[in-house]
Amino acid sequence: MDILPQLIVNIIIAGAIYALVALGFNLIYGATKFFNLAHGVIAAVGGYAVFYFAKTLGWNVYLAVIIGVLLAGIAGYGLDKFVYLPLRKRKASNMVLLVASLGAFTAIQAVIAILFTSQFKTLSYSVGTQRIFEIFDGVITQTQLIILMSVALITAGLILLLYKTRFGKAVRAMSDDEEVAKIVGINTNRIIGRIFFIGSAIAGLAGILVGFDTGIEPTMGLGLLLKGVIASIIGGVGNIYGGVMGAFLLGFVENFGIWKISGEWKDAIAFALLIVFLLFRPKGIMNK
Amino acid sequence: MNALEIKKLVKHFDGVYAVDNLSLAIEKGKIAAVIGPNGSGKTTLINLISGIVPIDSGVVIINGVGARAIKPYNVPAYGITRTFQEVRLFNQMTVIDNILVVLTERNVFGALFEKHSAHHLKRVEEVLIKVGLWEKRSALAQSLSYGQRKLLEIGRALAMDSEVFLLDEPFAGLFPEMLKIMVAAVKDLRASGKTVVLIEHNMDLIRELADHVVVLDSGKLLAEGKSEEVLSRPEVMEAYLGE
Ligand SMILES: Nc1ncnc2c1ncn2[C@@H]1O[C@H](COP(=O)(O)OP(=O)(O)OP(=O)(O)O)[C@@H](O)[C@H]1O
Ligand SMILES: [Mg+2]
Repeated sequence: MDILPQLIVNIIIAGAIYALVALGFNLIYGATKFFNLAHGVIAAVGGYAVFYFAKTLGWNVYLAVIIGVLLAGIAGYGLDKFVYLPLRKRKASNMVLLVASLGAFTAIQAVIAILFTSQFKTLSYSVGTQRIFEIFDGVITQTQLIILMSVALITAGLILLLYKTRFGKAVRAMSDDEEVAKIVGINTNRIIGRIFFIGSAIAGLAGILVGFDTGIEPTMGLGLLLKGVIASIIGGVGNIYGGVMGAFLLGFVENFGIWKISGEWKDAIAFALLIVFLLFRPKGIMNK
Repeated sequence: MNALEIKKLVKHFDGVYAVDNLSLAIEKGKIAAVIGPNGSGKTTLINLISGIVPIDSGVVIINGVGARAIKPYNVPAYGITRTFQEVRLFNQMTVIDNILVVLTERNVFGALFEKHSAHHLKRVEEVLIKVGLWEKRSALAQSLSYGQRKLLEIGRALAMDSEVFLLDEPFAGLFPEMLKIMVAAVKDLRASGKTVVLIEHNMDLIRELADHVVVLDSGKLLAEGKSEEVLSRPEVMEAYLGE
């Protein structure tokens, strides 16, 4: 059997998951201009929320997914409200905010591990019931199809939000010049709060989808964060289109890279790509 | 009646007193020019009134309401708007969006996911026609020429519908065609009863436009009064020429 069709499917799936993480990350970066490292652990919050409500409590899966997405959003909003906003008010530098977000990452990850143990868990009920589709000569699962559709819908939704609504105009104005945005009457802190909610909810969805696709563990956030950040940087940090493009480029390079060599090289390849970009096009594909 | 009053305003930057115990009153519906040599504290004065830099001490009284600390996002609520010496636009946005973004009804939660309504679009059209940028409405702000950028910035200020306009060298570097548009815009503001604080170096423009002149030197008030009278004082000319 030819391996190429499956390789293409794998590239698209990997790219889609990275894109989900990068979308929320970029949205938040665009508004705040700092690297919110806690973004990764928010994905884990989403995944574990679904695990708790669907598997531990036995609630309806769809309901659990909605709750998981909302909880992730609320977690992100809470982080901004109780950690980042007070720091911003004290004129903390972006470096301080980055360190604070690293602290939040570690703390939330530890809480998850305490509540749910560090063991790897799956979200899907029984793998056998997953429907599998064949496209050309590749195989794609139902979950993976849902991942693809989510990415398409969320990207389209975000673009509509940013370019067609008044809220979106305010967000873009703030990304351009926060001080001027303020003096023309935009309440930037309130906008940032909402951006944290939206971006974190998307991260939560990413964590949930990864949970259904492979599984969850408390440390899952780090891997997702790193890939999402690499995708953002190579695409052009803060740029919505850039994040999606970077994500698929990353998925492509990673999966093509391991075509002939062992899969353990994936992360090394991802970082090699990052370094190439940092050296030769540090602002990414989209930003000049 | 005074639109704007400041009392004993002080601002220093490590040792340099940019604004030094300055008291002023600016009458409503008039154009007041603020002049003075480079570094005399003109921009800092506007920065203090618009909350861009925090006040060390003193009070700003806007339409009779006193404030010791001004938060930038409260500035529109005080009825104040400003432009910048180095033009500041929303560069990644189109010309039309640069204006639309300030027309949002504030503090209305319901407006979050709405599109702009017809009266906003009408207002944008008015403003952009006035500053001569209607043809350029779909261009990105960053693609505009220097003069067009200045005009877009004043357009954004006009759209704010404020009572007091703080304009930091709006005419600097403009070619005659655009200068004319800018002068007309400033005159229109006075004609509609608005108050303008105008930082300007060009004496001819000051004579043409200003009702009142304030002269700063090293952050202190050197002179103030009717423009003809102040501009004829020898010490004022000396402050300008003697640096
Ligand atoms: N943010 C700042 N940090 C440090 N010093 C500043 C700052 N802003 C202004 N100053 C200093 O305050 C003094 C007044 O500056 P300001 O910009 O208000 O002058 P100006 O009258 O607007 O001059 P110009 O005509 O050149 O625009 C200068 O000595 C300047 O160096
Ligand atoms: Mg100045």
